[in-house]
Amino acid sequence: MMLRNGASKSIDNNPSDDICPVCKSNRYLNPSLQFLINTECYHKMCSTCVDRIFTSGPASCPVPYCGKTLRKKGFHKAFFGDLKVEREVDIRKRVGSVFNRRQDEFETLRDYNNYLDDVECLIFDLVQGTKEEKAKAEERLKAYRESNMGDIEENRRAGLEEVEMEKRREKAEKEAARQRRLAALREEEEEKLDVAKSKRDVLERLATSNEDANRITQQAQKIILKKTSARRTLAESAESNGSARGSGLTLRGLKKKEAPIVEKPYDPFGGMDFTPSRYVLQDDYDNEWLSNAKSDMRHMAGGYSLHEYYARTMFEAFSGLGVFIEDEATGRSLPAAPASIGTAAAAEASGGEVKIEHKMELDDVF
Amino acid sequence: MSEDERYRTSTQYRLWSYTPESLLALRSTTNRIAADRVREAVRRVREARALSSADTSEAENGRSASVIPQGEVDCLTVDEELKLVAWYCRQTLSLGDHLKVPTDVKATAIQYIKRFYITNSVMTYHPTDILRTALFFATKTENHYFRLTKFADAIGGTKAEDVLASEFLLTQGLRFTFDVRHPFRALEGAVMELQALSRGDLPAVPGGEDVTGARPQNMERKVRDAHGKAREYLKTSALLTDAYFHFTPSQIMMAALMIADKELTQWYIKCKFPATAGTLQEKILITVEKCALMLKEVDTSLESSATEKKELGALSKKLKKCRNPEKIDLVGLLRAKREGEGGADEKVVKKRKLEREQSAKEGEDLFGPEIKK
Repeated sequence: MMLRNGASKSIDNNPSDDICPVCKSNRYLNPSLQFLINTECYHKMCSTCVDRIFTSGPASCPVPYCGKTLRKKGFHKAFFGDLKVEREVDIRKRVGSVFNRRQDEFETLRDYNNYLDDVECLIFDLVQGTKEEKAKAEERLKAYRESNMGDIEENRRAGLEEVEMEKRREKAEKEAARQRRLAALREEEEEKLDVAKSKRDVLERLATSNEDANRITQQAQKIILKKTSARRTLAESAESNGSARGSGLTLRGLKKKEAPIVEKPYDPFGGMDFTPSRYVLQDDYDNEWLSNAKSDMRHMAGGYSLHEYYARTMFEAFSGLGVFIEDEATGRSLPAAPASIGTAAAAEASGGEVKIEHKMELDDVF
Repeated sequence: MSEDERYRTSTQYRLWSYTPESLLALRSTTNRIAADRVREAVRRVREARALSSADTSEAENGRSASVIPQGEVDCLTVDEELKLVAWYCRQTLSLGDHLKVPTDVKATAIQYIKRFYITNSVMTYHPTDILRTALFFATKTENHYFRLTKFADAIGGTKAEDVLASEFLLTQGLRFTFDVRHPFRALEGAVMELQALSRGDLPAVPGGEDVTGARPQNMERKVRDAHGKAREYLKTSALLTDAYFHFTPSQIMMAALMIADKELTQWYIKCKFPATAGTLQEKILITVEKCALMLKEVDTSLESSATEKKELGALSKKLKKCRNPEKIDLVGLLRAKREGEGGADEKVVKKRKLEREQSAKEGEDLFGPEIKK
């Protein structure tokens, strides 16, 4: 961005920046010399030449062997000093407006990166490629544009919206900052006035009453201090209120809010059903062992719930009653893990029954 | 997820449930391997002794050598080993009584010993060493805090070092699973529900009808009597048998109830598993009966009869002769191992100390020297 036309001239003092390649008029004779380019061929010429040649309608480029048909409308000032860069940026803009997919449209980061790589290859072909490569790349670009019209349009709009949002937020932020500044100024002013007023009061009192002068000044000092501190707390609370209200406006770097997906309540057991199938858990059981605990403050104060105890004892009474080890363990001499084991490591540890046993005999801790 | 499926996720089911045959097979394998190793170790020690006596310079090599008898080593059989382990389980019970630990600590300790001696032999590691560690572990797993030094003192003639000597060994022998599922709490649950059933009108199974009609006579009293009896069975018989390996805690609990009051328990199980639901009721009844038989058979008296004493005396004498001479001094072995690793450790410790000093110094310098007054 630093390499503007004028700036580059002062940096490397390239003589070609001073002489129009078409009419050979130079900056010395015409200080207001300004070069324009056309995105068709990126040959530069001075504004006078453009006016002279293209005012009467489209004409071919005056540069020898170029022959591209140019229109006056297509001419503009080059942004970059280096026209190669100018051209590449233009191409990138053009390609970018077509290949404007966003990362969240891809399932994996890898896919997105592959897509970016493809686009970059295309751009390289357009910028650096030979004539055939360029033509091919153009062809691809066109094909893609035609086949993905809807998506492109959608993404473009989304991008615009994003920019719009960003702008709005920035504006709001600026506005909030201005308000804060104004408030601070007002505050300061008030405080100053207040202090002046109380000073005046003190003087008046000193003049009219015949109390001890020292005491009066001390009192006044105290009052001033109290007032300032009160004001400060007030301001702080207001500020905290304000920030709570407009927290979206003042915080930077907040992520955009997604369309809210209704979140299911968290289930720590992942949908497993633990309702007992062999007993009905009562809310309370008569139990002489527990009758003391039920009324004892020392038990109840800690929040110990007897219901937990009931649930656990009842569960243990029936957990595994229908597990017949004789039937189930016979097939287990083979290193086959029961299906209930979650991780592979656990399966390995529990499966290698016979192996483990030998290993234990061999690998002593001593 | 049904109650049974949840039980199947426990290590007790996954690692420590065996059929009688597979348990016997495991124990025989362990016994065979251990016997081979004892013979091998004895041969090594003898060779060493022969060497040293040829030298005559290292005569004090003899502490372990003096234990080694001449001739072929007569190893214990699986049965004899089992008898010894059973005896030491009883010892654990009385030691637990002596230390005044709760029942579940004793129960857990005994299960640890039983589990450990499935894959280890009495000839390799002596039960007296193991049972102390097992009991100490059990105080930890059952949440009954007992300070190590106090624990060792209370046992008498034991140092903290002795208790800890076999801790890694035991942990490995337990395959790092410390969870033992006991039937005690299950019994409380069952009795609680039985009492509720005897009084109120609540359904026995979800969605079932109230069981008002067919209740046994005098149910409330019966339940109370059965509770006490069943608990006694769980406290002793269930621990001294292999019931924990062959049955689930719930089945053991039902079996104890079955011994205490057959009519009541059968009614209870039939309530829970109606005959219409297939063969499950019959199967559970058979399993529980089998377990009950097992519990009934074992002799629960802590004092053994004269013949038993004689037999056990002979066994321990035999054990003395066939112990693995390389694994007798566990404390020494542990120390040797520690020292073997100690070289590297010391360096690390030294380095840490240096780093600490360095950082302390920097900490002081952070705010510069003290301001002079």
